[in-house]
Amino acid sequence: MISQFFVLSQRGDNIVFRDYRGEVQKGSTETFFRKVKFWREDGQEEAQAPPVFNVDGVNYFHVKVAGLLFVATTRVNVSPSLVLELLQRIARVIKDYLGVLSEDSLRKNFVLVYELLDEVIDFGYVQTTSTEVLKSYIFNEPIAVDTARLPPLGPAAIFMQGSKRMPGTAVTKSVIANEPAGRKREEIFVDIIEKISVTFSSSGYILTSEIDGTIQMKSYLSGNPEIRVALNEEMSIGRGGRSLYDYRNSSGSGAVILDDCNFHESVRLDSFDMDRTLTLVPPDGEFPVMNYRMTQEFRPPFRVNALIEEAGNLKAEVIIKVRAEFSSSITANTIVVQMPLPKYTTRATFELEPGAVGQIADFREVSKKLEWSLKKIVGGSENTLRAKLTFSQESHGNITKESGPVSMTFTIPMYNASGLQVKYLQIAKKSSSYNPYRWVRYVTQANSYVARM
Amino acid sequence: MSGHDSKYFSTTKKGEIPELKEELNSQYKDKRKDAVKKVIAAMTVGKDVSSLFTDVVNCMQTENLELKKLVYLYLINYAKSQPDLAILAVNTFVKDSQDPNPLIRALAVRTMGCIRVDKITEYLCDPLQRCLKDDDPYVRKTAAICVAKLYDINAELVEDRGFLESLKDLISDNNPMVVANAVAALAEIQENSSRPIFEITSHTLSKLLTALNECTEWGQVFILDALSKYKAADAREAENIVERVTPRLQHANCAVVLSAVKMILQQMELITSTDVVRNLCKKMAPPLVTLLSAEPEIQYVALRNINLIVQRRPTILAHEIKVFFCKYNDPIYVKMEKLEIMIKLASDRNIDQVLLEFKEYATEVDVDFVRKAVRAIGRCAIKLERAAERCISVLLELIKIKVNYVVQEAIIVIKDIFRRYPNTYESIIATLCESLDTLDEPEAKASMIWIIGEYAERIDNADELLESFLESFPEEPSQVQLQLLTATVKLFLKKPTEGPQQMIQVVLNNATIETDNPDLRDRAYIYWRLLSTDPEAAKDVVLAEKPVITDDSNQLDPSLLDELLANIATLSSVYHKPPDAFVTRVKTTVQRTEDDDYPDGSESGYAESSSHVADGVTSPQASSSSVPAAARQADPAPAPAPVPDLLGDLIGLDNSAIVPVDQPSEPAGPPLPVVLPASTGQGLQISAQLTRRDGQIFYSLLFENNSQVALDGFMIQFNKNSFGLAAAGPLQVPQLQPGASAGTLLPMVLFQNLSTGPPNSLLQVAVKNNQQPVWYFNDKIPLIAFFTEDGKMERTSFLETWRSLPDSNEVSKDFPGAVVSNVEMTLDRMAASNLFFIAKRKHANQDVFYFSAAIPRGVPFLIELTLVVGVPGVKCAIKTPSPEMAPLFFEALETILKI
Repeated sequence: MISQFFVLSQRGDNIVFRDYRGEVQKGSTETFFRKVKFWREDGQEEAQAPPVFNVDGVNYFHVKVAGLLFVATTRVNVSPSLVLELLQRIARVIKDYLGVLSEDSLRKNFVLVYELLDEVIDFGYVQTTSTEVLKSYIFNEPIAVDTARLPPLGPAAIFMQGSKRMPGTAVTKSVIANEPAGRKREEIFVDIIEKISVTFSSSGYILTSEIDGTIQMKSYLSGNPEIRVALNEEMSIGRGGRSLYDYRNSSGSGAVILDDCNFHESVRLDSFDMDRTLTLVPPDGEFPVMNYRMTQEFRPPFRVNALIEEAGNLKAEVIIKVRAEFSSSITANTIVVQMPLPKYTTRATFELEPGAVGQIADFREVSKKLEWSLKKIVGGSENTLRAKLTFSQESHGNITKESGPVSMTFTIPMYNASGLQVKYLQIAKKSSSYNPYRWVRYVTQANSYVARM
Repeated sequence: MSGHDSKYFSTTKKGEIPELKEELNSQYKDKRKDAVKKVIAAMTVGKDVSSLFTDVVNCMQTENLELKKLVYLYLINYAKSQPDLAILAVNTFVKDSQDPNPLIRALAVRTMGCIRVDKITEYLCDPLQRCLKDDDPYVRKTAAICVAKLYDINAELVEDRGFLESLKDLISDNNPMVVANAVAALAEIQENSSRPIFEITSHTLSKLLTALNECTEWGQVFILDALSKYKAADAREAENIVERVTPRLQHANCAVVLSAVKMILQQMELITSTDVVRNLCKKMAPPLVTLLSAEPEIQYVALRNINLIVQRRPTILAHEIKVFFCKYNDPIYVKMEKLEIMIKLASDRNIDQVLLEFKEYATEVDVDFVRKAVRAIGRCAIKLERAAERCISVLLELIKIKVNYVVQEAIIVIKDIFRRYPNTYESIIATLCESLDTLDEPEAKASMIWIIGEYAERIDNADELLESFLESFPEEPSQVQLQLLTATVKLFLKKPTEGPQQMIQVVLNNATIETDNPDLRDRAYIYWRLLSTDPEAAKDVVLAEKPVITDDSNQLDPSLLDELLANIATLSSVYHKPPDAFVTRVKTTVQRTEDDDYPDGSESGYAESSSHVADGVTSPQASSSSVPAAARQADPAPAPAPVPDLLGDLIGLDNSAIVPVDQPSEPAGPPLPVVLPASTGQGLQISAQLTRRDGQIFYSLLFENNSQVALDGFMIQFNKNSFGLAAAGPLQVPQLQPGASAGTLLPMVLFQNLSTGPPNSLLQVAVKNNQQPVWYFNDKIPLIAFFTEDGKMERTSFLETWRSLPDSNEVSKDFPGAVVSNVEMTLDRMAASNLFFIAKRKHANQDVFYFSAAIPRGVPFLIELTLVVGVPGVKCAIKTPSPEMAPLFFEALETILKI
């Protein structure tokens, strides 16, 4: 069990503090913050503090959510994954209730937050983190904060950027807040979010590729109807013979082979083995219906080519090409390409393609990195960046080894790499006039997308 | 609701407290509620609003739940500082606990349990009794946790009022939430008690396994963790348990998955069918890998656990090495752990892939990570003979990039590679020498110098190279000086020409006359004497063949690994330290039975003692005083003695020949630490501990036969040890049928087979029987067992002895984690261990206590403890004619203080 729970701002201010057992001294918040801020190990230079550590017999756990530090302490030999998972869930529950998770919203709603914390944990033992269950015990109402300038939270938040099709306010709506009109809008969101990791070798060959996917759901349906979600029928779990899988088109509906998957506790799998449908009564709040992992080969959305060549005395040239290998009806956005340059680089000048719009290239002097950001890339297109570098000293003759790898971050809405699909979403409710909004959305994001040089 | 809560944080010009007081007493409900909110706001930012206690409590009697909760929150915070006023609230609490609304009933019980005021506790019992039997599950589950709260305040009360029985009844409750909380409460109570309270029988086991399926995710973790202490009777039962736990591996909650993995691993130890084991390994792999898709914080925990798991069962993830490749955006703490596991999984089959990765990492930005990657290449070279050459060529490539810290790190690992494969890769020395003048880190310098000295005959200009270092000899760190000294001697022995001869003069001069470092001086004198008396002997010594090294730098000691594996999915598995190395509970409400108090053997002891052991192994409380020495230290100081030596010693001893077993056993009472786990002893498990009874030392042993055959003919033998402990009579263990266990008390004598050297607590034991090979294990000698009953000194003789002993005989140590909260109890405990109280005085705000004790042959200990009651931190100073015993004494004292 845990002893204390607290939330600190990035500056170390105490925003929420709850002591459940009175066995850890009062100064724990300062001790924790000092330790995290000035983490050192074996006399090495500053490093990042691990999520679990011990100071004077007190064990500290922390996770970072929305720029805030969620911390728990204990003196006993607890399950660390339980505590870390709990901290994530507390963040999610608070977000469900407040609509937005930020220092401001926590401060404005501290009474509600304490009420939640008392129901979530008793004497250090987790009672429930289900937004749904908690509803019967919570009496305070949330106070809305200005959402316009706040950084969004949670995987579904990526839908808020750019795309106009998404009703932006829905995601920052509290589960217990009433609509101004007095009537709730009947809607349900099902998001298929995939984070892809690809490592290309210097010759462009794929070394590793992996997809971490989540089917995320957020339901605002009244009366808690049962929902059926049907996935690809041709889906198998667990790799049998490796290296046997064939190369599939990412947009095709071929067989999907998952390495492993797991499900939310509300999901019933009675017919899953037969027809790949999941049945559930969605609880309130945002939650992952299913998580899956896949190492089956897939076509990576981008091909990256990077080249660095010496071009005369103390000079070099860099060429980076990014080719989008998905359909032209799809557009990727917020793309950032980064490449570390040799340490002795002093200057870089850039040359973008003629007619390039929404592109910025920059040389980060301190970290010696090239950064190229593109507002969007349309499927099928190719973008090139040329840079001329100036060095302060001779290279050791191996300039390629001293630069790179090129890494990329991006978001591609309405695209998924695995081929996993929600075939239909059935809401069991008798009335014929009942036709709630159903939003099934796909998005793919880069996790670790790297091309070596 | 009106406006924002944050407005409550604003201050007013008119004094804040009087204004709040006025508002709290307002006739308007809303105003009162707002006022309480303001009070809470002030409280959370650390302002003292305790003076409003009465006014806030007056708001308690309300139907408004929102307001009631706020008042309760206030009460929990301030009741302790206002115990007399807190009584005012009792009536409302008791009334609320009978409210028709279950939420209010639960709220009342929950809050009362959080108010740690004795007077309130008395009133809590009746409501708690009612609520444990409430119709509403929400009330029952709250009451279950409340029993644990009450136990923490007043354990006796809980036992007297029969709450433990009610709690056990709740295990059969029809609501899984209630079951989970009852399990959590019982597990906590058990942890703080030395009596068996919560024993998992096969009956409770099946009940809990059934409840598991309906529980919330958190409840599943409570139950799985409680069940992991259960020891299955045989392989069949183990398989049954595993079968019912395996579906938990599919859970989205990582804590559930890891706890399920722990449980399966535990039961696997008992499963004999290799097919079943292989199949289980296969099932566990994907969920373990999936943990690496969670948030980085959870990945870190998963990786630390996987590190342990692959040491025991390398096959589980043998094919999954790719998932441990570092991602570009992994936090550094995740990358470091992945590297460690990659080294563990590296094999001839995947080494090319792995090296490609390491090479890439070695050019990244983060210096620590780069260094570790270079080291990883070296460790793979040492681990995989066939890949060594490839590893070296990667290292050479990296050296050519000429990044300073990469070069230095590479040289350090190449030195190790030379140690592992002598006379194989010297051709690369020339390349290394190119980087000579860029070396500025002591370890790299020392490594390079070692290489030059070791291969002096093959390096043409070895003398020039070494000479370049000699100029700065006096300024070098001692690590480099020592290597320079040895390397110069090697050079001289290999090439006894004029140059080296002059160099050796300079070095020996520097290292003997102009240094304050005793290590360096001693080594230099030895060389000097060797060289001047017998240069040939010097050659034999200095140029002797060195033992080949292996890569065990991150391999854990087997007994420690055993203990850590039993603690998978706990903090212990993240720190890679046994629980008692970091668990320090401040409050302890334990009526601990002393060793002496154990009831002497009764016939019924058999079954009970085995279940004791099951609890004892996993509960940190019990293990704190009992884990064998080797397992307790992260760095296994006493390396397990090589087997042939020990055997030789044993057989060579004539004063106590191996003793046969011929008499019926005597049951043992206390939970003994396991010294030979069943996994090591082919099913035979031995638990043992030295204890003192009626002025005599006994070795209390428990034998459990988990193997498939009957075992008989037990004999025992002790190796030489610091106290000369040996068996005073034969070991008395009857034939053990499979599944049976027997305990015995073996009388011991002292000063029989004394070992030389400084005293240490290592006790090496050999046990044999007619069916199995000889088992060797290490135990720890607790000094507690040696304190004699006649150790009490008179005040005057204490003072005289203290003065007569020189100051050099005084040793002191701080125990920052130890707390004395009840002086009387501590004195009683000390006395029970034959540490006798002499006097007490006050010094500033601290209390100073004096004690005396003695160990056999009349060696006295004079003890001074300085502390502040209730505050962590105890300073202990001792004076004794045998100061070399001090470390053992402090260990003993720590055990006593910790209880």
